[in-house]
Amino acid sequence: MFEHDAVAVTDALRPMSAVQIEQTRSFIAGLEAGSQTYWDMVEIGEERSRELTLTAELVILYADGVEDYNEWYEGWRMNSWRIEGRSPFGGAIVPPLLVSHFVLSVQFDHTRPFAIGSIHTNHDSEILAPIPVGATVRITTCATDKYEKRGRRYVRHAVKVEDVADGTLYFRETRDILSL
Amino acid sequence: MDEADTRSLRVTRDTPLGFELQPVKKKAAIQLMGSRLWGRFNPNHWDPVYAAETGLKAPIQTGEMSSAYIAEMCVNHFGAAMFAGARVVCKYIASTYANEIITTHGIVREKIAKGDGYRFIVDVWADNDAGEKKTVGFVEVDVDV
Repeated sequence: MFEHDAVAVTDALRPMSAVQIEQTRSFIAGLEAGSQTYWDMVEIGEERSRELTLTAELVILYADGVEDYNEWYEGWRMNSWRIEGRSPFGGAIVPPLLVSHFVLSVQFDHTRPFAIGSIHTNHDSEILAPIPVGATVRITTCATDKYEKRGRRYVRHAVKVEDVADGTLYFRETRDILSL
Repeated sequence: MDEADTRSLRVTRDTPLGFELQPVKKKAAIQLMGSRLWGRFNPNHWDPVYAAETGLKAPIQTGEMSSAYIAEMCVNHFGAAMFAGARVVCKYIASTYANEIITTHGIVREKIAKGDGYRFIVDVWADNDAGEKKTVGFVEVDVDV
């Protein structure tokens, strides 16, 4: 049933049983199917935009992943579930760089193949206003440049994040992606 | 962290150049690196086999995780000011590998008079236990303006 040797395809970093190994290899094979380089997928001037509701649960998923337990970000607590939360701005707010992380899923959204070999190399981010937990934002990215430096290929994006309801500009960013 | 726990850390207009921010320390845990919201979309962030096939000695963290660590340190010291008119610039200069212990650092480099206070410029970086820098950059934030 299994093509792989359980010892050969996992290690102590991520201990797995034979069935987990098979599931993992299958998942990765699916990602790789039809993968392309990001360089080839993007044209300068291309703009992409998506709306995202920053639910309390989404904020908790982000903060837990980096073990940031600041109570200002808690619009959800175990046992209480959804709460208003508290911060210097009133209710719960989202961590300062959270929306930066979601820029990835505008650049590499579900309509595109896996961008093999791409690495985020830098960001210059302006945090302009606090974002309340529960806000729906529009994340817009525009590919502003493709350039080569020391034999490596980069794609630069300009990003803005606005409130869908009232147009508040929350966040701006310039970021580079290194591509195979 | 509760706000009361960090109030004593807050930077004020009187904080001098050279002031060192209190670090935060994290382990690059592969189970967090590969969580759905963080790195699941790219097996280089969580699968040792795939990472080895692409020439990496171990899975690597997304750079944005170290940026988040640096932001946490800055919120501890600057509080609400980090959410209005702040700037965070980070460059990922080396890979953070699974199981490494990452520590953030910050030193006040410059204070530019602004309103009743200052715009602070803080050099920030994240390194491993061997002192190898992984992420470098700076943060700008208004204090008491």
